[in-house]
Amino acid sequence: MRFVVSTTQLLKKLQLISGVISSNTVLPILEDFLFDIQDGKIKVFATDLETSMSTEIDAESKETGRIAIPAKILLDTLKTLPEQPLTFAFDEKTFGIEISSSTGKYKLAGENPEDFPKIPTTEDATEVEIPSEVLGRAIGQTLFAVSNDELRPAMTGVLFQLQPDGMTFVSTDASKLVKYKRTDVVAQEAASFIVPKKALQLLKGSLPTENTQVQVSYNSSNAFFSFAETQLICRLVDAKYPDYNAVIPVDNDNLLTVGRMDFLNTLKRVSIFSNKTTYQCVLNIAGTELKVSSQDLDFSNEAFERLNCTYDGDDLEIAFNARFLIEMLGVLETEEIKIELSSPTRAGILVPGDTEDGEQLLMLVMPVMLNH
Amino acid sequence: MKQSILHMDLDTFYVSVERLLDSRLEKKPILLGGTSDRGVVASCSYEARKFGVHSGMPMRQAQQLCPEGIVIRGNTSNYTKYSKLVTDILKEHVPILEKSSIDEFYADLSGMDKFFGCYQYASELRSTIIKETGLPISFGLSINKTVSKVATGEAKPNNQIKIDLGQEKLFLAPLSVKKIPMVGDKMFQTLCNMGVKQIRTVQAMPLEMMEDVFGKNGKTVWKKANGIDHSPVIPFSERKSISTERTFDKDTIDIQKLEALITSMAENLAFQLRRGTKLTACVTIKIRYSNFNTYTKQVKIPYTSADHILIPAALNLFRQLNDKRLLIRLVGLRFSNLVHGNYQINLFDDAQEQLALYQAMDKIRERHGERSIVRAIGMGRSSIGRFTNPFNGDPPIVLAKRRQ
Repeated sequence: MRFVVSTTQLLKKLQLISGVISSNTVLPILEDFLFDIQDGKIKVFATDLETSMSTEIDAESKETGRIAIPAKILLDTLKTLPEQPLTFAFDEKTFGIEISSSTGKYKLAGENPEDFPKIPTTEDATEVEIPSEVLGRAIGQTLFAVSNDELRPAMTGVLFQLQPDGMTFVSTDASKLVKYKRTDVVAQEAASFIVPKKALQLLKGSLPTENTQVQVSYNSSNAFFSFAETQLICRLVDAKYPDYNAVIPVDNDNLLTVGRMDFLNTLKRVSIFSNKTTYQCVLNIAGTELKVSSQDLDFSNEAFERLNCTYDGDDLEIAFNARFLIEMLGVLETEEIKIELSSPTRAGILVPGDTEDGEQLLMLVMPVMLNH
Repeated sequence: MKQSILHMDLDTFYVSVERLLDSRLEKKPILLGGTSDRGVVASCSYEARKFGVHSGMPMRQAQQLCPEGIVIRGNTSNYTKYSKLVTDILKEHVPILEKSSIDEFYADLSGMDKFFGCYQYASELRSTIIKETGLPISFGLSINKTVSKVATGEAKPNNQIKIDLGQEKLFLAPLSVKKIPMVGDKMFQTLCNMGVKQIRTVQAMPLEMMEDVFGKNGKTVWKKANGIDHSPVIPFSERKSISTERTFDKDTIDIQKLEALITSMAENLAFQLRRGTKLTACVTIKIRYSNFNTYTKQVKIPYTSADHILIPAALNLFRQLNDKRLLIRLVGLRFSNLVHGNYQINLFDDAQEQLALYQAMDKIRERHGERSIVRAIGMGRSSIGRFTNPFNGDPPIVLAKRRQ
């Protein structure tokens, strides 16, 4: 069985989906791409059992056939080859593969395509359409707050809440929380599911740059994202998401408005002098002044900076992990941001200074408990 | 420039303090330590040592060896007080001071000989301490910590020694290998079996041989035997862990009692963490069964100092580790992997009421003592608690009433 395909085109498509393949897998075949050649098209699959991706490439071929090709060798070869048609030939009994380029021949051992895990199909799935721009933004705003704690699986993914009046994306790791809501994109049917972090990272990396509609289908166990010729299928996190609305405080009497970049740069500098494990920084807010300070007793490092701000509320001293604030301020885009506070042991809420239509963003960060 | 390191050691410190408080104890054999069946001798007077008693020996054995010995239970807070008196005097007089235990000090006097000679300065310092506190103290002065420590050992009781520059090897040569700090019973035994009794022999041995027999430790011991030691005098040592343990008078399998004790230990250690603005990321539990087999198990957790995480973590570990149907002799708990910081509040688990309660409890403890408010389950466990802040840079206190 033989087929001919362009090197750059193949490489481009393979790199789109190669992120799924993890370096140390339980099954050796998970280190392979599955090539499925049919009617002059190759469908390529990659999977780690939890997440699968597939894509399509045009090829010259008269026959049909399937073969599993080791991903690393193939990618490394393609990366160094200049643009040219490449001929693949493989034996469907021994799974031996021979690749011919203009300058030589490369032989490698493939694996039985029948051993490749079955990729889930869209059975009894509900379908909605989300513009890739919205999806990309939602992932970008929420992904950093996803937890890595395997003991609380629900938090290891982003909650998708689809509703007739909008879509909400939520992520949290119990220290910080992000809630991103779009009212300009709606679903016919209300549904909610948790998409794991890895799948979203891959999805974000492979979304097309120009705005297209992404077909999102979901059933009780899987979610499917399709756009252009690419498809991503992932197993959903089977856990109950914590009731996040209940923990977002509503009565925040103290409102701080501060320039985002100023605050971000101050925090970046001051946190250099904080403890390298806890990144603890103290905010002292009084009048129109915000003082940010930190210290690392182990190395006798200490720093503070003063910032001008607009503040409406009682004088307050509150401490945060500066890394959390830095992540949040880095993701926010507006010139000014507002921080709502109530007490030193209650959450601080960050919202952008001004919002675009149809978009609501709320970031919440828990303080560390200062003892006096 | 050669260094001048001074090592000072208070002679039979606990006994000397007791004698200060009660002069009737002068010139009598005294056994100080735990008085229960499992008590060990924490300190004994020179009169008692004549009978073969040494510290660390079970109290019962000591009493058999020295029936006329006066047994004293000891009071740790008195010793802490007197130790502080001595520390204060020393701090005032020396540039760099390391307090390596409650009754032992190193001072770096390098460069001070320009004025009146280190030896004279040290002698005057010793007289000052004896005059102001009434406690006997000995010192050794040489070029490094090891030689000075060995010298102090030779000077005792209540005397002083200076090892002249270049005489370190000669001074060490005739002494027993046991005198080298680091050589414990086991290493001493092995050395004896090798026919090595005097430090002189170690000095003559090639370094490689010591390394072959004892590994990395052998190398250090060989260096010490040759009077080589470059370790600096460290004025403030950061605590790397805090721990507590308890030996029972009678071995027990009373799970309820054990768990109450562990709860109480965890509660107290967690308070120590918060008082020192520390967080821990590693909890270790230790169990010693009646057959002296000792087991430990540890778990890594996210950085925390909260009771409601540390207590269940400790109890869980205990339940996992305690899988033998044997009586338990000792349980211990250790928090290690410490960093500076405060507790990161959890969005879902921490109610405001609970946080307020913790803060209020800690405030009461700060004001009225750490045992002033405890969980009901831990009431009556009087020996938990450590009197001082473990993060003040002082070495951990060895309880006078400890048990084996």
